[in-house]
Amino acid sequence: MAQPWRVTVNGERRALDDVPDSERLLDTIRWRLGLKGTKEGCRSGECGACTVLVDEVSTLSCLTLAHEVDGASLTTVEGVAHDPVGRSVQDAFARAGALQCGYCTPGFVIALVGLLKERGRAAPTEELLADLSGNLCRCTGYLAIVRAVASLPREDP
Amino acid sequence: MSTSFDLVTPSSVAAAVAELAAGAPGEVVVLAGGTDLIFDLDGAKVAPRRVVSLRRLPWRTLDWNGTVLTVGSTLPLRSLERDPEVGRRHPGLLEAVRAVGGVPLRHRATLGGNLGRAAPASDLLPILLALDAEVDLVGPNGERSLPVDRFLVGSRRTAMMPGELIRSVRFPEPRPSAYLWQRVRPEHDISQIGVAAARSPADGRWRIAVGGIPPRAIRLTEVEARLASAPRPERALRVAAEEAAERLAVATDRRASGAYRRHLVTTLVERAVESVAALPDGGR
Repeated sequence: MAQPWRVTVNGERRALDDVPDSERLLDTIRWRLGLKGTKEGCRSGECGACTVLVDEVSTLSCLTLAHEVDGASLTTVEGVAHDPVGRSVQDAFARAGALQCGYCTPGFVIALVGLLKERGRAAPTEELLADLSGNLCRCTGYLAIVRAVASLPREDP
Repeated sequence: MSTSFDLVTPSSVAAAVAELAAGAPGEVVVLAGGTDLIFDLDGAKVAPRRVVSLRRLPWRTLDWNGTVLTVGSTLPLRSLERDPEVGRRHPGLLEAVRAVGGVPLRHRATLGGNLGRAAPASDLLPILLALDAEVDLVGPNGERSLPVDRFLVGSRRTAMMPGELIRSVRFPEPRPSAYLWQRVRPEHDISQIGVAAARSPADGRWRIAVGGIPPRAIRLTEVEARLASAPRPERALRVAAEEAAERLAVATDRRASGAYRRHLVTTLVERAVESVAALPDGGR
């Protein structure tokens, strides 16, 4: 069966009439909304590349049915700069050059934005890094990512 | 290759029970957080015609009533982890919850889902056994409760009757406790072996449980008895753990050999008991 799907995506209200009940949120975002910043990595919850925010909470879109987030507000990496926390994470990653091939970067950025919204900007770097352990970088470019996390502003702008 | 199904989201417990009772076994499955189920749907290991989502049910709860902790079955594990009292009063439960996936996965994964799916390598089942958790069920014939040890039947098998749902999980008393595990890749694999230990402050008795073995997580009652009777339990511990490991039906698979799993059981039992004994009230 397919049902109407209503969400807010990066601040914009979106309505789709024909999202199949069995569709993963990841596929809806990439193939129906055309937002290709959210990546498919392992499709099994191990790598974090598909992480998006659902009502500001970091969520694996590969293990979530699209209809389970009906009515929610989604943030993908394309919308991350709409918000001061997202901008500071984006800046920190850019300044630290915290990417190699870039495939894991959207997942890392979104997961980190989610953590900062959940824990506040004063959360200790070591704890933020431990809580990012669900995101993998297959290039193993972790040192620059660690530097980006450590360089984040610890107070609200 | 994924299967096509209808998703229903009942807004009351009665409606959810009715949805489940309406289908033949195998035709209807329950969706809590989905982190385990959706993976199996994707691989077509499970091919239901209807999926009943619990997201509208009022079970995302966490309540303390004196010493009794009741966790609603659809509360995300991350909420359990973030509750400061849970970590203080049930340290082993916090360790086990943090062993499950990464934060974005724990934002959706639930205790009820983990129990209902009853995976042999679950990181939560050993600590639930060690804490004598009780599973509260609701179904077509009303409510009932089962200790986790009776709730678990086998690999992916539980004592739930057709039409029953897990409403909540109760932890009767705070206990000094620990959960230790070993993995090939710590951040994104399932555990080769997981061991939970807890000591009841009421009677000083130990509970030791192991997961990652077929067909289901179990208590190591011989080790518990040895710890209760030995005048110097720390001396008896290693021998008791080795004997228990020898008797276990461990699997040999791509994650570990049977011999290595036995070694892990012995070592992790020893370390888990030592770690509980080092906690306030754990050494008594």
